[in-house]
Amino acid sequence: MTAFAALSTANYKASVRDKTTVFFTFAFPLLFLVVFGLIFAGQEVEGSGRNYIDYIAPGVLSWGVGNAALFGIAFTLMQWRNDDILRLIRMTPTPLTTVLASRYTGALVIGLVQAVLFVGVALLPAFGLSLAGSWPLALPVLLLGVTAFLSMGVVVGSRANTPEAVAAIANSIMVPMAFLSGSFLPIDLMPAWLQNISRALPLRYMNDGISTALTGSGDLATIGLSSAALAGFTVVFGVLAVRTFRWSNNS
Amino acid sequence: MTTTHAIESSTPSSEEPIVEAGTESAVVLDGVRKRYGDVQAVDGISLTIRRGEFFGILGPNGAGKTTLIEIMEGLRQADAGTIQVLGMSPWPRNVALLPRLGLQTQKSAFFARLTAREHLATVAALYGLPATAAGPALKLVGLTGEADKRVGDLSGGQRQRLAIAGALIHEPELVFLDEPTAALDTQARRDLWQVLRELKAQGRTIVYTTHHLDEAEALCDRVAIVVTGAVIALDTPHRLVGAAHVPTRVMVPVGQLSTDQAGALPGVIRVTVEGGSVVLETTTAGATLAAVGDLIGLDEVQTRTATLEDVYLELTGSETRS
Repeated sequence: MTAFAALSTANYKASVRDKTTVFFTFAFPLLFLVVFGLIFAGQEVEGSGRNYIDYIAPGVLSWGVGNAALFGIAFTLMQWRNDDILRLIRMTPTPLTTVLASRYTGALVIGLVQAVLFVGVALLPAFGLSLAGSWPLALPVLLLGVTAFLSMGVVVGSRANTPEAVAAIANSIMVPMAFLSGSFLPIDLMPAWLQNISRALPLRYMNDGISTALTGSGDLATIGLSSAALAGFTVVFGVLAVRTFRWSNNS
Repeated sequence: MTTTHAIESSTPSSEEPIVEAGTESAVVLDGVRKRYGDVQAVDGISLTIRRGEFFGILGPNGAGKTTLIEIMEGLRQADAGTIQVLGMSPWPRNVALLPRLGLQTQKSAFFARLTAREHLATVAALYGLPATAAGPALKLVGLTGEADKRVGDLSGGQRQRLAIAGALIHEPELVFLDEPTAALDTQARRDLWQVLRELKAQGRTIVYTTHHLDEAEALCDRVAIVVTGAVIALDTPHRLVGAAHVPTRVMVPVGQLSTDQAGALPGVIRVTVEGGSVVLETTTAGATLAAVGDLIGLDEVQTRTATLEDVYLELTGSETRS
């Protein structure tokens, strides 16, 4: 077995043996879908002619996937440093890229499963999402979104030394960003200046891209811009991640 | 101020049959220093560990033993000095050197929620070895029966042995063990001695720390005693004991010999009564014993010669008091 396969297997086994975390990783975005779906059931967003669900479903999905990618790697790196697992790996010839690649693959699988589950539920008549023909274009946006949030998670997990710190930092990033990027409230309802600020946030682009692909709210250019922006955020946070990465808490 | 009298490792050892290790060096340290804030953890240590040698690093808590080992392992960067491990520099991370080193640390690391076998199979894969390497490693440390238990369900001693199995799974040439017997019960400790002796017999070099002085005396070819970041003594346990002039204790049941009589015997420097015995401390055990034998016979007489522990306490005690 290669180091990549072994680390992925260890990661998978550790995940499925922690059933509570598995359950909430997938249930968390669904909870938001249910809550917002009930609040805004059957309503249209004024002036746009579109249903709330068309805004909220792609928005909550993007936030849920990004949240899981960021939290997952941040917790793992913090925990691995505290448990000296990173030190153990450091003393073997396995390169760091292999370690991160196995976590990345895991995050992509989780993101994909989250998306399939979430869209499946949103399509139920109670929520009333209808998919546009362009829905497969959501996959590259999803992939790039996971990559961008994972690279942010590496930075968070490299800075924070305790679970409390990871949760505090990650929540401070993800919760305001979810509201500002239109994950929980239709972005068209926000004042123009706030909409402009949201252009600086990766989640805004993931929302736009996923929303366009799933509901046909934009065009191909929107998906292209979203993908390019997410790739750009990945580069920026990737550079930061390489600079902040630490093998141990004391070196 | 403390004065250190590091005995150079190059001291001729021709009359010592125990060190059969090759002349090639496994570890060469020269003037190694490491400071944490106000604490000089390692204060200019120079020593050479030969290939095939079983080398003990002894010293009180906080003496700098773990820091010294971590510098050799390449986990920490020294502030000054040169470090050669198997002819290479361990810092920065040296991927060519890593497969030749094995290490067990005081705080053991295990992958979450895996069984003992799964953990070792993962470690094996990190060294590019097949998962089947886990079986023999488990057997080596006597954990075959616990192979399918989750690591979190193992006892402290079992986890310690699993960590040692992880250090040995890739058959490294040079093994670093930091207090490997700390959490083990007496039987497990003796079992591990056997494992360590076999490793040495296979020609591997072992560098280890312990607080069990009897263990260091039984296992080590040479020991370095480290106090406040410096080596204050370095030699074979036998010669350290011989050189220390710690008195031998001759114990005679109370009533057979008065303290006055005992004090007059040749070589006796001190007489006390402890635990039902008149205890004669002597620097010339042979002459004293002969005299005791002439007076009362030797049937009920016990002797206790100096051990590495006595030498250690004398050396570290005087260093920390000064």
